[in-house]
Amino acid sequence: MRRENFRVIQSRIAFILSTLTALFGIFWLVFIIGDILIHGIGALNIDLFIKDPAPAGVEGGGLRNAFVGHLMITLFATLIGVPVGVLGGTFLAEYARGKKIARLISILSDIMVSVPAIVVGTFVYAIIVKPLGHFSGWAGAVALAMIMIPVVLRTTEDMLSLVSWTVREAAFALGAPYYKVIIQVVYRGAATGILTGILLSIARVTGEAAPLLFTAFNNSFFSTNMNEPVASLTVSIFQYAMGPYDIWHTQAWAASLMITLFILIITILGRLIIKWRYKK
Amino acid sequence: MIFSKKKNPVDLIFSFITSVASISVILITAGILYVLFTESSLSIEKFGFFKFLTLVDWDPVKESFGAAAALYGTLITTVLALIFAIPVAVGIAIFVTEVAPNFLKGPVGIAIELLAAIPSIIYGMWGLFTLAPIMAKYIEPFLQKTIGKLPLVGILFEGTPLGIDLLTASMILGIMIIPFTASISRDAFNLTPAVVKESAYAVGATKWEVVKDVVLPYSKLGVFGGVAISLGRALGETMAVAFVLGNNNQITTSLLDAAATVTVKLANEFTEADKDIYLSSLYYLALLLFVMSFIVLAIAKFLILKAERRSNR
Repeated sequence: MRRENFRVIQSRIAFILSTLTALFGIFWLVFIIGDILIHGIGALNIDLFIKDPAPAGVEGGGLRNAFVGHLMITLFATLIGVPVGVLGGTFLAEYARGKKIARLISILSDIMVSVPAIVVGTFVYAIIVKPLGHFSGWAGAVALAMIMIPVVLRTTEDMLSLVSWTVREAAFALGAPYYKVIIQVVYRGAATGILTGILLSIARVTGEAAPLLFTAFNNSFFSTNMNEPVASLTVSIFQYAMGPYDIWHTQAWAASLMITLFILIITILGRLIIKWRYKK
Repeated sequence: MIFSKKKNPVDLIFSFITSVASISVILITAGILYVLFTESSLSIEKFGFFKFLTLVDWDPVKESFGAAAALYGTLITTVLALIFAIPVAVGIAIFVTEVAPNFLKGPVGIAIELLAAIPSIIYGMWGLFTLAPIMAKYIEPFLQKTIGKLPLVGILFEGTPLGIDLLTASMILGIMIIPFTASISRDAFNLTPAVVKESAYAVGATKWEVVKDVVLPYSKLGVFGGVAISLGRALGETMAVAFVLGNNNQITTSLLDAAATVTVKLANEFTEADKDIYLSSLYYLALLLFVMSFIVLAIAKFLILKAERRSNR
C-alpha cells in the first residue's frame, strides 16, 4: 500500500510540474502582449498615421511613410509569392503526385521555411541591390516573397492532398482535362484551406525585419516609388528602438502594437476558419 | 497526367507552369548557396577555412577578419536557449496531451501558438525595454549573490550586470523557441497509439509512469526532431537577439558581458561594410550560418519523417 501511495504522489507531483510549465509559457505570452498594449496604446495618436517622421529628436511627426511602405512591400511580396507558391504546390500534389521530385521539393521547402531570414536578405542584396546599385522596395518585396513561397507551397500541397481522389475521378469521368479538374474542382474543394495558408503566410512575413534591412532599407521620407528605398514598420522599429530619443521609443512601441495586433488577429482568424471548416 | 495518353495542349502548358513554380524552391536554395559562395570567395581565399573559424579578430581597419567570436556567441546563446526551453516545452506538451482537461487543451494550445506568431522584432524590443532592465536590476545581481559565489561556476557571472548580455539574449531566444518545441513534441506525443497507453494503464501504471515509460520512449524521435528545428531556428534568429547583445566582438567567459552572434554582426555591419574584403567576410559568415542551419534543419526533418513513418507502420 505504501509503495502505491508513493507512486500516486510521484505522479501528482510530475503533473503539477507540467501544469506549472504551461502556466510559465502563458505567463510570457501575457507579459509580452500586456507590455506592448500598455506602452503601445499610450503612444497611439492620429499623427502616427497621417504624418511623416519629424527630423531626428524633434517632437511630433508620425510613421505614415512606414505604414504605407510596409503595406506596399507586403502587397507586392504577396503578389509574387502566392501565385508561385500555389502553382508549385499544385505541381507537387497533382502532376508530380507520388514522384521522387515532389518528395524532394516538399522536404526542401520544409527546410527552407525555417532557414535564417537574414541570409535571404544577403542573397537578394547580391542579386538585386548590388547590380542595380541602390536599395529598393522591389528588392524587399522579392526577399519577402522568397520567404513566402515555401510556406504557401507546402500548405497548398497539403490542402490539395486532402481533397479525395474520387472527386477528381468523377470529373475525369465527365471527360474534363486535368487542368480543368484542378482549377474547377480541386481548387474549389481546397479553397478555404489554401486561403487560410495564404493568410498565415502574410502574417508571417509582416513581422519580418531581417530580410528588409539590406533590401528595402529605410527611407525617412514618404515614397510610393518601389524603385527607391522604402520605409517599413519593422525596420523603423529596429532603428527607433535602438536610437537615443524618447519620442522614437514611443513611436516604436506604437508601431509594435499595430504589427502585433495585425498578426495576432490574422492568426486567430486563420485558426477559427480551420476549426470551422474542418471541425469533423 | 497519369491516366490519359492524349494530352490536352492547355494541360501541357499548365503542368509546365506549375512545375516551374515548384522548381523555384530548388533554384532559390541552390541560388543562395552559389551566391553566398561566390560573394565570399575573396575572404575564403585570404583566410581559408580553419583560420577563419579560429581567428578572433574582427578588425576592418587592419582588414583582419575571423568568425570565432561570432560563432562562439551564436553557439552559447543557442545552447543556453535550448537548456532553458526544452524542459518547459516538453512540460507544456505533456500538459496539453495528458494532463489538461479537455476544455483547456484547445485554449492552451492556441496560447502557445500565439506565442509562436509574435514576430521576433517584438521579442527583441520587449527584451530591450522591459526584460533587460529587470535582468540588470533583480535577476543578474541575485544570480551573482547566489550561484555566482560558487567556485568554477562563478566566472560565468562576473562583471557589472547591465542586462545587455549573453544571458538576456539567451532568455529571449529561449522564450521564442518554446512554442516550436512544444507544438512538435505535442504532435509526437499524439502519435503514440492509444492501445499501447491503455495496456500500460491496464497493468496498473500511474499516469506519470505511462508518460515516462511509454509515451516519451515512443515519441523520442519526434521530440528530438522538434528540438533540432528549434536549434535551427535559434541559430538563425536575428532581431530577437540584435537588440540585447550589444554586437561586441569578443569571446567572454562571463554570461553578463555583451557579445556578438553571426546574425547580429550581419544585421549591424552589412550596410556599413565599405571594403570588398569586409563585405566578403560578412558573406562568409552568412555562408557558414546558412550551411549550419540547413544541416541542422535537414536532420530535424529526417528525424520527424522517421518518427511519422514508424507510427504509420
